Amino acid sequence: MSEVQRRKYSQEEKTAIFDGEFMPHIDSMYNFAFRLTFDEDDAKDLVQDTYMKAFRFINSFEQGTNAKAWLFRILKNSFINEYRKKSKQPTKVDYQEVETFYNSDDVDYQSTSDLRAESVKDMLGDEISNALNALAVDFRTVIILADLEGFTYEEMAKILDIPIGTVRSRLHRARNLLKEQLKGYAQSMGYNTNEEEED
Amino acid sequence: MEINDQPGGERKLACSDVTKCFQLLESILDGEMGETGQELMKEKLAKCQPCFEHFHLEQAIRDVLKTKCTKQPVPTELARSIRQMIQESK
Ligand SMILES: [Zn+2]
Repeated sequence: MSEVQRRKYSQEEKTAIFDGEFMPHIDSMYNFAFRLTFDEDDAKDLVQDTYMKAFRFINSFEQGTNAKAWLFRILKNSFINEYRKKSKQPTKVDYQEVETFYNSDDVDYQSTSDLRAESVKDMLGDEISNALNALAVDFRTVIILADLEGFTYEEMAKILDIPIGTVRSRLHRARNLLKEQLKGYAQSMGYNTNEEEED
Repeated sequence: MEINDQPGGERKLACSDVTKCFQLLESILDGEMGETGQELMKEKLAKCQPCFEHFHLEQAIRDVLKTKCTKQPVPTELARSIRQMIQESK
């Protein structure tokens, strides 16, 4: 925890913070954990560990600040430090590799996708989920944080310990990779991709 | 990308600065630009076909992720076991 230890909470305060500010995020935490590990038991362990750590370091949590972002940061660090190695789904891109890959914040904003908004809207939840799950963990993570959990760039920068510019560029790349996945589905399902449609 | 016979037909078919425009549109869609972003966006979408298409695709992607991604039901005993572990650690 990088936060400054401000003061010590009493036992009652600790319980109030834990119940009132930490526990309400258990659904989001479990879903995040599951999308990282793809395993119910690992996800459960990861969430349990996160809450144990959150309780242990509760004095470094400043009441009134964003508890959800604080918890997500602990979960993400626990995942990297302890679970990544034993995670059942091998990740396609190694963390270091990904970091080198992003060395510059320069990303290509060319319009490359011939996927149509209409095809995307027609897709099923499972297709969207599978496309997301097929992304390497670092790309998957930024999409989960931004689109599923609604974190801002600034919150994501804190959760992931990366600059805001990197958040923006990684998110852009992640969505482009997702579009590639979705384009595959669109084509296999016979959805319209690049042909013109009547308006 | 094929771009032709769009309604109205007054939008430019080529974007003069795709990198800047798309980055801006994506930031706006991510809620990072506030009020100024909304104005800028309206202007771009009215004038530029690639921006218009990019915006709608990006918006669709965000919408389906937000609304359609299957949620994993949280194991019922998880909250209880966490409380128990905390209790035991005190
Ligand atoms: Zn444009």
